[in-house]
Amino acid sequence: MKRFFILLAVAFSSPSFADDAPADRKPIDVPQLFATTCGWCHSNAGRAEGKGPQLMNTARSDDFIRNRIKNGKEGKMPAFGASFSDADIDAIIAYIHALKPE
Amino acid sequence: MKHRLSMGVSALAIVVGSLLATGVASAGQVDSARIEANDPADWLTYHGTYKGYDYSALDQINAGNVKDLQVAWSHIPGHSTRGLQSMPLVADGILFYTGSYSRTFALDGATGALKWSFLPELDDALVSRQTHSPYTRGLALGEGKAFVGTVDGRLFGLDAATGKVIWETKLIDSQKLTVGFTGAPLYAKGTVIIGAQGGEWPYKGPIFAVDAATGKKKWEFDTAGGDSDEAKKTWGNDTWRVGGGGGWMPGTYDSATNAVWWGTANPSPLYDWSGADYKTKGARPGDNLYTSSVVALDVDTGKLKFYHQELPHDAWDFDSAPGEFISIDRDGKNYMVHPNKSGFIFVYDRSNAKVENVWPLITNYNFVKTIDPKTGELIGRKDFTEGKADGILCPHISGGVSWNSGSYNPKNGLYYKIGQEWCMTLTVSKTTPVTEPQAQLNIGADFKIAKPPTGEIYGHLDARDPITGAKKWEVKFPEPPMASVLSTGGNLVFVPDSRGTLHAYNADTGAELWSHSDGVGHQGGIISYSAGGKQFIAVTAGFGGMASDDFGPTFGEPYKSMPRDEGVLMVYSLK
Repeated sequence: MKRFFILLAVAFSSPSFADDAPADRKPIDVPQLFATTCGWCHSNAGRAEGKGPQLMNTARSDDFIRNRIKNGKEGKMPAFGASFSDADIDAIIAYIHALKPE
Repeated sequence: MKHRLSMGVSALAIVVGSLLATGVASAGQVDSARIEANDPADWLTYHGTYKGYDYSALDQINAGNVKDLQVAWSHIPGHSTRGLQSMPLVADGILFYTGSYSRTFALDGATGALKWSFLPELDDALVSRQTHSPYTRGLALGEGKAFVGTVDGRLFGLDAATGKVIWETKLIDSQKLTVGFTGAPLYAKGTVIIGAQGGEWPYKGPIFAVDAATGKKKWEFDTAGGDSDEAKKTWGNDTWRVGGGGGWMPGTYDSATNAVWWGTANPSPLYDWSGADYKTKGARPGDNLYTSSVVALDVDTGKLKFYHQELPHDAWDFDSAPGEFISIDRDGKNYMVHPNKSGFIFVYDRSNAKVENVWPLITNYNFVKTIDPKTGELIGRKDFTEGKADGILCPHISGGVSWNSGSYNPKNGLYYKIGQEWCMTLTVSKTTPVTEPQAQLNIGADFKIAKPPTGEIYGHLDARDPITGAKKWEVKFPEPPMASVLSTGGNLVFVPDSRGTLHAYNADTGAELWSHSDGVGHQGGIISYSAGGKQFIAVTAGFGGMASDDFGPTFGEPYKSMPRDEGVLMVYSLK
């Protein structure tokens, strides 16, 4: 019975927004994320068009960006849904909106 | 003269007759001896032969009649995400080629009629998480089989007559490591060799060999950290574990030394913050063996016989993986010529990889002042520290050359190679390799393409002496061609350009003799073969690889509207 309640507690305490993304690690460092991975396509830390579109001053909605990050686009952008939590993606979207010219 | 002609014709009739009778069934009967024998009717391995020339001796099509070249047939492979990047092969009049998602086809080389197709089911969810995907740059033939790799880490041995799977071997845990195989395998001496993608990814960059008959793994060479503690010591803090490397294009086989030569990829992260003290500071202190190197591995055991590291502690992503290996014998010396992605061409003693010469193909470079032509030592190398780099870095991350192959013409001794003139700005950051829940790219910098000091970005086809680098002639292109080139015994050089036009030039002079538009940019291979006594030129068209991603934003049209998910195999002949 005790084990059952523990299992129940675990089931309700871990939100399953991303199956594999650990829920309890540090908030994501978005500038470092760009220098590690995103910058491959999103030139100049997202400020310029390159392999991928310019993110600074984007006309896309937050929902569009969230969906694109999670699901990618065939032949263009990988799907990062398994790597980022919703909180991570919130931070990425905030970073994009804050982008200014150098 | 008349007597000899009629002898030739009846001999040809016998040969043609027996070819038609056997067709697909004999087409896979390829071994190393047959590849070395090099019947010009065939194209049995990625670069034509193990000598790596990307050259056809056929001269039915020549400088005198190429103006009459016309489309014979074409084939559309379908689902051409990121274009069509592969090199076709031909054996006994059957043409084999691969498209994206490792779709593999065998076609009648004279008519284009389909013999068989192999359409493997890939792990789509995994493919959706990859960047350098889902293209397959080609296949290998050997012992009645066709060998093709997949981006989800598998290698297949197919029956070359029917396309049926004989064996399937999983070599990489792509779910975890994200990378798989994009390059063509190499068949040599009963062995199939293929190298993993890897440079940008935090793993150890394996090159695998499997038994051609059974698919069973024979050996593995890890380019990051390699075979010894000494090599691992060239990676401070055990960073070889996430070192990158890999060998994502096919090398070649030298039977005289029982070795396969392979070009290895760059270390990870691509850009380091060490500054000049890269041996003891930064993300991966040390020379980082055996990344950005040429290695000669015993084909039977995978043991390292000898090597040369072209770029010790490569801090610019100028790997040795893209370049072809060209065997040239001249004045009693045996050379191996190999282009490094930086645009410097290395000339080695083929017996031991000692540097004989190094010469620059491109004009705009500053990652080094120069490379010592006698020793290969990097002079005046530019190592970065954290923060915005002063000025520009040349060449651009897409290289002074890319993985598209050059061509060596043994009739006139000229090496034809595309050079790329472009640069970049960058801001270096300290990054941490991400390996959970799966590996992610580890670049180490934000960057942006930039014009070179000489003016506009451009590309050029050079005709050079491969050993000395002396330039005979050059043709400029407003955007760099990204496809392989072909030279022939008919005194022709074929260049498929990025706008979609296939050009034929006089191989001696560079005069343009013919051109034709294939409808979409080229970023793959080109070969020549004969079927039924007729010579054909086969070229893949279909744009969309990594380097071409920059073309739309950089150049505008026709690249802005050019599809990045279309592909076609175009085949030309005289009437």
